[in-house]
Amino acid sequence: MSNVLLNRMKSARHVSGKKQQDWSQDAFTLTTRLLQVNPEFYTIWNYRRNILTKGIFHNSSPEAINHILTDELAMTMSALKSHPKVYWIWNHRRWCLENIPNGPGKQQEADFVGWKQIAWSKELFVVEKMLDSDARNFQAWDYRRYVLAGMPTPRPESAELVYTSRKIEANFSNFSAWHQRSKTLTSLWEHGKLDEAKSREQEFELLRNAMYTDPNDQSVWIYHRWLVGTDGSAELLEREIAAIQELLDEQPDSKWCVESIIRYKHLLLKKSSSADVKALSEECRGLLGRLQEIDPLRRRRYQDLELEL
Amino acid sequence: MSTSSTSATQALPPTLLTDLHISYIQKLGENKDDLTYHLTSHLRLNAIYWGFTACCIMGHPEALNREEMIAFVMSCWDDEAGGFGAHPDHDAHLLSTTSAIQILVMQDALDRLDIDRVVKFILSLQQPSGVFAGDAFGEIDTRFLYCAVNSLSLLGRLDELDKEKTVRYIERCRNYDGGFGSSVGAESHAAQVFVCVAALAILDRLDVVDINTLKFWLCERQLPNGGLNGRPEKLEDVCYSFWVLSALSILNGVPWIDGKKLEAFILSAQDPEGGGIADRPGDMVDVFHTHFGIAGLSILGYPGLVDLDPVYCMPAKIIEARGLRKGWKALERRQA
Ligand SMILES: [Zn+2]
Repeated sequence: MSNVLLNRMKSARHVSGKKQQDWSQDAFTLTTRLLQVNPEFYTIWNYRRNILTKGIFHNSSPEAINHILTDELAMTMSALKSHPKVYWIWNHRRWCLENIPNGPGKQQEADFVGWKQIAWSKELFVVEKMLDSDARNFQAWDYRRYVLAGMPTPRPESAELVYTSRKIEANFSNFSAWHQRSKTLTSLWEHGKLDEAKSREQEFELLRNAMYTDPNDQSVWIYHRWLVGTDGSAELLEREIAAIQELLDEQPDSKWCVESIIRYKHLLLKKSSSADVKALSEECRGLLGRLQEIDPLRRRRYQDLELEL
Repeated sequence: MSTSSTSATQALPPTLLTDLHISYIQKLGENKDDLTYHLTSHLRLNAIYWGFTACCIMGHPEALNREEMIAFVMSCWDDEAGGFGAHPDHDAHLLSTTSAIQILVMQDALDRLDIDRVVKFILSLQQPSGVFAGDAFGEIDTRFLYCAVNSLSLLGRLDELDKEKTVRYIERCRNYDGGFGSSVGAESHAAQVFVCVAALAILDRLDVVDINTLKFWLCERQLPNGGLNGRPEKLEDVCYSFWVLSALSILNGVPWIDGKKLEAFILSAQDPEGGGIADRPGDMVDVFHTHFGIAGLSILGYPGLVDLDPVYCMPAKIIEARGLRKGWKALERRQA
């Protein structure tokens, strides 16, 4: 068996487009077989696209082209299932999507982008299925953002809040989802599509749950750091410090509690009167000493921060 | 296992099995009838760069035949596109073109290259947004941007690049955690952090980096077993030793992780029988992780290794000789 494959691989070196200008159906079928053996063979993907654009599409109606590309998407779906991290497969799918023709309706008719709408919606479904089986696959997240941005009829951005909270609730340590959520919220706030003050409070609420579930999960703390930002009010900083302190009292070895308290006290320092500055600095110093004990891997960082105080 | 044998293993710290790794790399290209050889042909030129750089860092550039290597590189030239494919008869791609240029520079054989044509190929891949595509079909990624900046710099042709546009794209990929993603909006990932930070270093634009936040994010990649991961709440992997360490060394932050523990982790992923390094202990070795493991050890000051330039991921001497050395800082080389 492996000898047959080997010979196919060797012969494949001679089928690439510029060696022979064969844009036939036979050549197309050969590329299918080769890519089934090795989906990493990027030159063959290139050749396959050339066969389509330079050969097969020439004699095809828009309807037929839509049909061919739909088949392409189905073909790469099975490749993706066994090789979810192969870049070339994702690229080929992008190319297919971008080449779906207009139709079936005429311009100005409602279904002028009907084929595109079907293909792109299906693609969103496909990539979300992939994320169901591996919720941290960053290529799938990147691809999903690409699909969302390219949909002929865009989905409202607020739908992303629903999607990311579903992902986060399934697993608090899914930083990919937290990341996506931060981007979505920033955009919604900037465009005035969401009451920023109110939604920030909801995020703090969500975080509170997550922190108590697993105080050692850095995804949650990095998101918290984003939410507090660099110019939060003294009132906000004090409130968050108090809330984290409460958790720290229960979990005295939680490095992330200590780390976060230091960060927010440090921000508070910049806003405080000189009398408070001394007290806050002392507190930070004490906490940095504590971090050196509970997190020796990063001892040097804590020592450097101490010197900076 | 008896108590005495446990303490015996503990008494002997693992060391780098240089000879075994050299012979592992030498054997890689030998069996061309092997199916695996063909299944990995899309990475052949990159694999030669990884294997050769690893040999150079271990102090044995002569372990691989120079003339054969140069001849193979040149046989990957795609004359239609004006770049290098990963293997003879493969289409030109920016990843393999960069590997080809790096190999030719390390072998002091740039005179074999049609520099004008390859510069034209590279520049043709820059998109209006400033990012680069990998090839004519247009997949974009900050990895390709780094390849372009690295290659143009090695060829002494950086002046032909629209630097402002390039930097602006990297800036748009920066996230609030200080890291960078593969494209605008993408999650921070250690490999993308390396490519963005190294590209900015080459372009003398490290002012774009939120240095303290990024150093914090990078040192949080270290896990209790000493290994580094590429993103929060993910598993450790030897290749991140390089992605994370190189970025840290460019930002002068290597001491912020525990180098001793990382070193022990990398060494524990060696195959003590056949040579080579795996992604983590017990897994199958490959040339990619062998290279990045050794690169990481060099930055950590492991005795007997040659200095690696973390910006270009090539021997430091070669980069210095071209006047391209930037202000990075590795750990001091220890005596054996
Ligand atoms: Zn790896």
